[in-house]
Amino acid sequence: MASDEKTLPEELVAPWAEWQVNYSDGKRLLEAGTYALTEGAIAAGLGVFAGYPITPATDIAEFMSKRLPQIDGYYLQAEDELAGMHMCAGASLGGQKAMTATSGPGYTLMHDAYGWAIVNEIPVVVVDAMRVGPVSGITGAPGQGEFYVSRYCSHGGNIETIVLSPNSVQETFWLTIDAFNLAERFRTVVTILTDQVVADMSEDLFLPSNYNELSEIVVPRRHNMEMPFFPANSSEIDLAPNVIGEGTGVCVSPYTHTEEGYDIENMEAQWAQTFRLINKIRHHKEEILRYEAVGLEDAEVVAVAYGATARTVKTAVLEARNQGIKAGFLRLISLWPFPDELFEQDLNYLVCELNYDGQLVREVMRAAPNRESVHFMGKSGELHTVAEVCTALDSVAKHQRMPEQAYIWTEVS
Amino acid sequence: MNKLADKYLREGMVPTKACQGCAIGAIEMWLLQAIDELGLKKEDVIFGAGIGCVGRMTFATWGGDNFGATHGRAMAVATGLKMAQPDKKILLVVGDGDAASIGTSHLIHAARRNVGMTVICEDNMGYESTGGQFSPTTPNGYVTNSSPYGMVEQSFDPCDVVIAAGATFVAETTSVQWRQTVKIVKKAMQNDGFSFVHIRFPCIENFGAQALGSRDPIVGMDWIYDHTKGKTKDGNDTEFAWETGIKHDASNSRPEYSKMLRDVNARVRSDMAASS
Repeated sequence: MASDEKTLPEELVAPWAEWQVNYSDGKRLLEAGTYALTEGAIAAGLGVFAGYPITPATDIAEFMSKRLPQIDGYYLQAEDELAGMHMCAGASLGGQKAMTATSGPGYTLMHDAYGWAIVNEIPVVVVDAMRVGPVSGITGAPGQGEFYVSRYCSHGGNIETIVLSPNSVQETFWLTIDAFNLAERFRTVVTILTDQVVADMSEDLFLPSNYNELSEIVVPRRHNMEMPFFPANSSEIDLAPNVIGEGTGVCVSPYTHTEEGYDIENMEAQWAQTFRLINKIRHHKEEILRYEAVGLEDAEVVAVAYGATARTVKTAVLEARNQGIKAGFLRLISLWPFPDELFEQDLNYLVCELNYDGQLVREVMRAAPNRESVHFMGKSGELHTVAEVCTALDSVAKHQRMPEQAYIWTEVS
Repeated sequence: MNKLADKYLREGMVPTKACQGCAIGAIEMWLLQAIDELGLKKEDVIFGAGIGCVGRMTFATWGGDNFGATHGRAMAVATGLKMAQPDKKILLVVGDGDAASIGTSHLIHAARRNVGMTVICEDNMGYESTGGQFSPTTPNGYVTNSSPYGMVEQSFDPCDVVIAAGATFVAETTSVQWRQTVKIVKKAMQNDGFSFVHIRFPCIENFGAQALGSRDPIVGMDWIYDHTKGKTKDGNDTEFAWETGIKHDASNSRPEYSKMLRDVNARVRSDMAASS
């Protein structure tokens, strides 16, 4: 069985594919995803964490409250999530790397600050440890209900967003560093969409012994000291973020702005701002694409998943291969901008996610050549079992349709 | 051009963008006078604004670094900003919607934490940029575009709220009290902690037309003047009167928030160094 698995070509497209080879001097721990997230943020140069306790993200707040004073950083316990993310935006504007962490109920409160930070090109990292909903739902059960919310995390349209999702404690560490790097490079909010399982579970975690040695991979905070503060009609990335308090005269606001940051009510300015906010991301999609793929070369049916769901789904794909089914596995790590390019092949896709309404599956239906070949396998509150996914892979491979299984939804509108 | 405007404001932003007869521009000049008398430079002050008439008309007028926050959140943004720029004076100019309604929670907690900022609440007693609806500071019984039969709710004084929350400097004044306002703002900005200054002024366009029955700026100013004194011109008591002046002064009596956190960091790091 083990030898069969090895014959399947595996591919990890993410910066940490290289990082985890290059950094081997460190310690191995048994720790939770929340711990890895905290350490990843600190390794990336975090200065301010502001948040409001909420299950299952509370442990991040607790770890931060202990660790940040040790590195001369600041833990701010906000009055609510609205305040938490605004505090982060303020701290980042002042020149500190900033992060907040929450779960669904707090995430919906952050939309006010999301729009403000995105339009003003303020780097902030936001963590949403998803649980089953709607609203409070079951606080200790995983969900994947904020796939679209993380894309449309502000009102008014005219934005693109960057969203990453880890599937293990170890990956959470590296991905958090990566999220901070992307926030700096793109001058925007980067969302880490994790879930209750990946956040709460403990597993093997390697941490480099000296974070200073990560300087080669960590994008440092820089200050933009001159005009233009908001380059219009430009999709350029790797510009230094603006800073308030250094006397540049920068203006930051919720209004449609000029290059100086002045509020303006004029369509040319609105278009120029939109061009910048959308195209700085669209024109550099290749810089953001991260995924894991197994056995795609000869696959007839490809199981698609992200986050904790991808763990049992991957095992199921390997098991299906043992049963003679030509199954492949595609784990999305960068969820937004959506990686359309991964769905160019006309194959059967089996999209597994933790919601009954069907979210990720709709994007796969849009991106894949044949909508009829995209199948939905939704569960709610608990992970897909290996047996369930194997049964579905077998049915789709042989009959191009989903089998009926208890507590699994297959209808998409 | 006005010397203070020349020294502190941006070219092209003077005279004020506000409606004719509105006090927002005049009050901003008084803030500049206080800043000037304190000997502060443009680089010493970060200017933050809220949303509504007060936010929109003052945003990007200040010659130094500016931010205009989302509605009510200027105090939250400033709390984060203070961690990164602890040596700057943060001056927030917000309205009654920002401070007394949508952002009251942030106001209370910034006061409780004693975050170093001066919040100027320029209170025109209603939502005037949206056309004149009542706010939590509209006097009970007054007619606005969303209280055509008179405002039925009890209004409240945000000064009472921030005093209860632990603000270290709190004062109330009005747009007919130039010298008092300058003195108060100077004292507010000398407090290394959370200061709140409540300044009432009349909206000529909406509150004037609906509540006072006139868009004549003199009628609006007279109404403010009468309710500041508690007497009308003909010697009768007004139905209510505002008590203006310094309401609470515990300036520099307890440590500023970012300083407290820096002190914790120093203690933790020194303990770590000692034990390693």
